[in-house]
Amino acid sequence: MDFYLALLQVIGIHALIGLSAYVVILTGQVSLAQAGFFAIGAYVAGMLTVLAGWHLIPALLAAGLVAGAVAFLVGFPALRVKGLMLVVATTAFGEAVRLFFFNFDYQVAKGGVRVGPLGGEGFKQIRFFPENGYTTLDVLVFIWVVVGVVMALLWWMDRSRAGAVLRAVGEDELAAQAMGIDLTAVKVAAMTAGGVIAGFGGAIYAHYTTHIEHFNFGIVLATFAIAYPILGGLSTAFGTVVAVLFIQGLLIEGLRFLGDWRNLLFGALIVLAMNLRPHGLLDAATTLRLRRLFGRGGAGRDA
Amino acid sequence: MLDLIQNTIDGVMIGGAYALLALGFTLTFGVMRRLNLAFGAIVLCGLYAGAAAHQALGWGLLGSIAATLAVAVAAGLYVERLCFRALAESASIAAMVSSFAIWMQLEEIAALLMPRRTYAYPALSEARPWEWAGLSLRPDQLAMAAVALGAMAALGWTLRRTRFGLAARAVATAPLAARLAGIEPARIGSAMFLLACGLGGLAGALIAAVDSQVTIKFGMWAMLKGLVAMTLGGIGSIPGAVIGGLALGVIESNAQWYLGAEWRDIVAYGLLFAVLYWRRGRERPWTNS
Repeated sequence: MDFYLALLQVIGIHALIGLSAYVVILTGQVSLAQAGFFAIGAYVAGMLTVLAGWHLIPALLAAGLVAGAVAFLVGFPALRVKGLMLVVATTAFGEAVRLFFFNFDYQVAKGGVRVGPLGGEGFKQIRFFPENGYTTLDVLVFIWVVVGVVMALLWWMDRSRAGAVLRAVGEDELAAQAMGIDLTAVKVAAMTAGGVIAGFGGAIYAHYTTHIEHFNFGIVLATFAIAYPILGGLSTAFGTVVAVLFIQGLLIEGLRFLGDWRNLLFGALIVLAMNLRPHGLLDAATTLRLRRLFGRGGAGRDA
Repeated sequence: MLDLIQNTIDGVMIGGAYALLALGFTLTFGVMRRLNLAFGAIVLCGLYAGAAAHQALGWGLLGSIAATLAVAVAAGLYVERLCFRALAESASIAAMVSSFAIWMQLEEIAALLMPRRTYAYPALSEARPWEWAGLSLRPDQLAMAAVALGAMAALGWTLRRTRFGLAARAVATAPLAARLAGIEPARIGSAMFLLACGLGGLAGALIAAVDSQVTIKFGMWAMLKGLVAMTLGGIGSIPGAVIGGLALGVIESNAQWYLGAEWRDIVAYGLLFAVLYWRRGRERPWTNS
């Protein structure tokens, strides 16, 4: 049972980083900076609970704010470029953040032990959950409450004017600009929102593993982050969560019986999925069919 | 001053290999307009094959390089068929995600077949460094830069003087017009892709031969260096890729000397960010080379 609980925890955390990339991809930007924001959230929240003795919830919010602020600052220069150049620029940013934490020392003696980030050795003993008596189930509930709040906000945003504006920029920048939409403002706003969500994800991740190191936040995590929304399809935020379930649940855990050979099939299955469904698992047509199935939203909106 | 000159010499030497890696990206991007995230993994597979040939069969330097090139091109064919040929042109992000999945797969194959952290690669030259007026120059690095320069000259000649080069430039400039003139963009794209993998394999072999070893992290490293060098010089430009590679080498070696090893990559990334900001990411036409 604990195995499945732990798996659901991982899925929740990956859902957050996938959703952070989803917001940015809606505006047509492929960002590999999400792992950097995730790292910032992880270190900020870890330092606040361990060194400053904060409760996790304010630390989580602070981590989201800091990561969002960094995303805002990075967004202005980064979003002057697009396409492949943005991929490279955000990769460079993500790697720079990782290297920063590789060299980052800030240790304080607490109860005779030195705690805090220590460069290449990482940041150990982020023990908010065990110290406060959280069981695996409690942690799981905590993670999914955060995922639920983020999903609800995204769902609400998608139905509001903001979602339409984001998608308009993603579909056709020129047309959006002609409608009087400020492209930079929209893209930077999406980047900031993505940064906040990734910051939440990082904060939870740090407390879930209790030990973070710079190489947890490399380009592989960043690529996973954009793979989720692409694989899931951009019609709804649910697509991203479906893709996380597909990759983390089915491909990574479901194929564990294959042992070391798992990654071989993992790669092949993702390629197969992308070939069969280039617009994602939950593409527009499937979303429409599902909506009809549940008897909502059919004719008026989609016809 | 002497330090600056020495660092710059070292930087130019390693920069030659960076330039080859950057050219690998530029060629694929120029013709296909797509990013191949599996590039580093393809190079890694080639290098592991070279190291295996050296270890198990006792092949020398040239044999190992040949094995590296052959396997890199074969792995490139695999990636091209699965991720790029199969997906429609409109799905360029789907192709990128697919190439990411194949990157994981290739790296896993390499790690499963050869599980040690490092493997020996035949050394380029055992000769001692030349000393002159306080400066030193490693012959093997000089040889690496010379081979890289030769490869780049050959590439330039191919693109300008052969029918294949003409067709490739036509596809890069105007795919539709090229098609009307009887060129098949998909075939040219595949050929350029394989050529790019071969260049990547050569760059990898040179670097591995200078270090006389190869590690599993090489793939990731090669991909990052190639991407950064390509972007520094201006995406899509062939002289730009060469200049970007050399510039990256010089900047890194100076940053390492004056600021310390931990700053080397941060300085390179910061500079890349500045260049992108300043240039606003304008693409230079690939054909004006």
